[in-house]
Amino acid sequence: MTHHQDNLPKTPLARFFDGLEENVISLILGAMTLITFVNVVMRYVYNTSLIWGLEVVLILFAWLVLLGISYGFKKTSHLGVDAVTNMLPTRGKRIAALLSAAACIIYASLLLKGAWDYWAPFAALQPTDGRWFPMGFTEGVRDRAFYTTDQVPMLGIFRWLEDAINYGEAYDKLPRVIPYFILPFGCALILLRVVQATLRIIAGTQDSLIVSHEAEEEVERVAHGAYEE
Amino acid sequence: MEVVILFSFVIGLLLIGVPIAVSLGLSSMIFLLAFSDTSLASVAQSLYQAMAGHYTLLAIPFFILASSFMSTGGVATRIVRFSIACVGHFHGGLAIAGVFACMIFAALSGSSPATVVAIGSIVIAAMTKVGYTKDFAAGVICNAGTLGILIPPSIVMVVYASATDVSVGRMFLAGVIPGLLAGTMLMIAIYVIARVKNLPKGDWAGWGEIWASFKDAFWGLMLIVIIMVGIYGIPGITGAIFTPTEAAAVASVYAFLVASFVYRDMGPLAASAENGGVTKSLARHPQALVTALFHKDTRRTLFDAGKLTIMLMFIIANALILKHVLTDEQIPQQIANAMLSAGFGKIMFLVMVNVILLIGGQFMEPSGLIVIVAPLVFPIAIELGVDPIHLGIIMVVNMEIGMITPPVGLNLFVTSGVAGMPMMAVVRAALPFLAILFVFLILITYVPIISTFLPTTLMGPEIITN
Amino acid sequence: DDGEMVIKFSHVTNTDKHPKGIAASLFMERVNAEMNGTACVEVYPNSTLYNDDQVLEAMLQGDVQMAAPSLSKFEAFTKVYRIFDLPFMFKNMEAVEEFQQSEVGQSMKKSMTRRGLLGLGFWHNGLKQFSANKPLVLPTDAAGLKFRVQPSDVLVAQMEALDASPQPMAFSEVYGALQTGVVDGQENTWSNVYGQKFFEVQDGTTETNHGLLDYMVVTSVDWWDGLDAGVRDQLSTIMTEVTADRNAAIAEVDAQNRQAVLDAGGVIRELNAEQRQAWVDVMKPVWAQFEGDVGADNIAAAQEINAKH
Ligand code: NA
Ligand code: NA
Repeated sequence: MTHHQDNLPKTPLARFFDGLEENVISLILGAMTLITFVNVVMRYVYNTSLIWGLEVVLILFAWLVLLGISYGFKKTSHLGVDAVTNMLPTRGKRIAALLSAAACIIYASLLLKGAWDYWAPFAALQPTDGRWFPMGFTEGVRDRAFYTTDQVPMLGIFRWLEDAINYGEAYDKLPRVIPYFILPFGCALILLRVVQATLRIIAGTQDSLIVSHEAEEEVERVAHGAYEE
Repeated sequence: MEVVILFSFVIGLLLIGVPIAVSLGLSSMIFLLAFSDTSLASVAQSLYQAMAGHYTLLAIPFFILASSFMSTGGVATRIVRFSIACVGHFHGGLAIAGVFACMIFAALSGSSPATVVAIGSIVIAAMTKVGYTKDFAAGVICNAGTLGILIPPSIVMVVYASATDVSVGRMFLAGVIPGLLAGTMLMIAIYVIARVKNLPKGDWAGWGEIWASFKDAFWGLMLIVIIMVGIYGIPGITGAIFTPTEAAAVASVYAFLVASFVYRDMGPLAASAENGGVTKSLARHPQALVTALFHKDTRRTLFDAGKLTIMLMFIIANALILKHVLTDEQIPQQIANAMLSAGFGKIMFLVMVNVILLIGGQFMEPSGLIVIVAPLVFPIAIELGVDPIHLGIIMVVNMEIGMITPPVGLNLFVTSGVAGMPMMAVVRAALPFLAILFVFLILITYVPIISTFLPTTLMGPEIITN
Repeated sequence: DDGEMVIKFSHVTNTDKHPKGIAASLFMERVNAEMNGTACVEVYPNSTLYNDDQVLEAMLQGDVQMAAPSLSKFEAFTKVYRIFDLPFMFKNMEAVEEFQQSEVGQSMKKSMTRRGLLGLGFWHNGLKQFSANKPLVLPTDAAGLKFRVQPSDVLVAQMEALDASPQPMAFSEVYGALQTGVVDGQENTWSNVYGQKFFEVQDGTTETNHGLLDYMVVTSVDWWDGLDAGVRDQLSTIMTEVTADRNAAIAEVDAQNRQAVLDAGGVIRELNAEQRQAWVDVMKPVWAQFEGDVGADNIAAAQEINAKH
């Protein structure tokens, strides 16, 4: 039962972050459901609609998943195939776990570079140079700070961005830099959680990066609504 | 050849225990960096757009949430009672009732393993108590649970519709007859086995029990009506009210209301120790209307559904990255041209699709597999005149089989846990019924009208605009 | 082939029936034949690579070189393009063509260069018609109905002017939503009304010709400026010829699609001058709302051209 981080002793800080992440996940999914539901009612009963509803729900969907992936690495809840590794002797298992941890670190690093390169121009920042590895920042890439969402209204608390990145020009819609921010943020969190999991594997407190298929645990998980295919 | 390297890389990573999503995503990125000019930023864009750019996939979190509210509550128990009242008195009655209950739950939920757990945890124990072998019970439920993705709503169908741009509404309709047919085939097989082996039958409890159990299950069963009437309307009475995605969101809200205020299985009105084990009345606790929204049970259900959405979408998003990379290298076109110039006919093509999916289904999670395979075979199917809806149902049935075959078969793991049996024992137990699913697959593959009849009759022929 | 520069052209329609798809395929054929050894165009149709929302980002990023989104997709880049969405701005496609070829129209192609995009040519689809699940003859018939619209401020305002309720909806959902009655109507060109079979699930289509659905072929300024002058000129020439060629054929394509709707049993309602004027009266006030964005002089230029047709 060493697969689940839940069983390790937790500091108050760790509990605080668990609670924070869990509440944010619940809150986002709740908001998505409510906005969609309200829009159905408004259309059917009042013959009108929140024109920005659909776009906001889709943005929340992206936020839900991109924030949640790192949580999944923290709790070792991502699906994988353990049929082969289960047949290996202890030493082989450990080597496989370390190799797969290395793969995850490479994955998260490449993704983080991609996420930064994608987001930076929207924030009037420079993407990184280099194809595989960041080799410093490029210069002279045209910024995309002007690029707004289709229908999401501009929020007052983001007005400072107009002076900060948009040469003082007013935004009439929410600029894309805000919804896209989840990319570098979420990917950085993924890298952090993957490195932490790797350290646990090296220390021997965790066996692998994927959820184990122990029958009893499996039922427990499904009973809590895990797996849905 | 590069494609072979790509897929070998994916499989190699999978086998050493890399998460499915990472295996797909890492292979794609390395392939992209090595063989093309496309930037890593485009991978990040694909990842974000997997959610924000796919309106159809938005149905997934909502259907998962509706199913979670239904599973948290005692809906499954009520459905099983109703099923036993209806068919429990036949030979093999409890097993037939188990299949029947799986079919009903499948119409509430988009998932197979969830169906096994909800129904199996009640029915398997009950069956062994009245004298069935555990193997028989596990084999039945393990198979009947796969109907969760064939009978609408179905998450696998949502993924297929999103991958190929066909209508979710049509796919759902197309699943109705095959779902009923597969369920009936299972029930007939059980009845035959029961007559041969003289398995126990229950007592006929009378129409009164059917009515009473129906009344008890009514609010749960209403969800099926809400989804179906909401999406399709009632001919001559009302038009449709919402899109399939919206239907899922409305179903979630409804399931929350039923679980919290009607059945009171969860939330502030639920029975608790301090309350003497009985539920509270809403009339005396009207503040529950507000507190239920933030009650820890509600938060827990939202969180569980959210976590599950994340796990599934992580895989789908990376499968979409792989798909993007394949498209970028024009690989679907190459494969289509190669297959068409090889002179494959419709039959040969469908056999090949079945083989690819059956093999792929051994290692991959169904949604991820569909995201990758559907764009590869869809253009060929259209060229050969295969109905896209028919192709979709074939894919779904293949995925059902993948779920009850080792090494990766979620229904197997779940059943072994519910029944308390070793995995290999479940595999053996499921085998005779798996044979029925295979016959069913052949039937579905070569008799397209089973899949296309309802959608074509009610919605007209599928339009292919691509 | 080896040594050739690859030009990725991503669009969202089929390759052989939709006006945009046909034009893109023709462009590909001509470049690949005439510039063999220098450049090679690869067309990615049917949104397989990017949809219209994503493709402009990918272009600025350098991952795709050409695309042809509908003009309302450029709203975030410059508000000038809103002129093409304004109802009854152009009398007919001849007026549209003349406006786009005029000095004003040609300068619009360069209006986004500071944002990194360069227009290479306007591609026609045609004028939009209204369809709904009940007969639309006068604008009051549209009041209270739910219309699917593209997410554009102008189109939302136009629907509100009709007292109709604008509903944003993914294009792939529209047929099902019209069929089942989730929304009541939509606006589109004949090629889309026929191609997407909307007429099958509507009471009828009313020939309002109230708006324009056109595309602009765009490329990245940075990529374009980095090309050899010779290559650039040759690409530009082929693009100009393909554009002229396909745009000249649009009236015919439009008429064919309109006839195809009739042949397939679709209902088409024509408006008399008085009825049409009623629609104009209700919708034209939308202009005032966006005059600041598109420029009063541009509107005047368009009206001057209308007067000639
Ligand atoms: Na289902
Ligand atoms: Na399997």
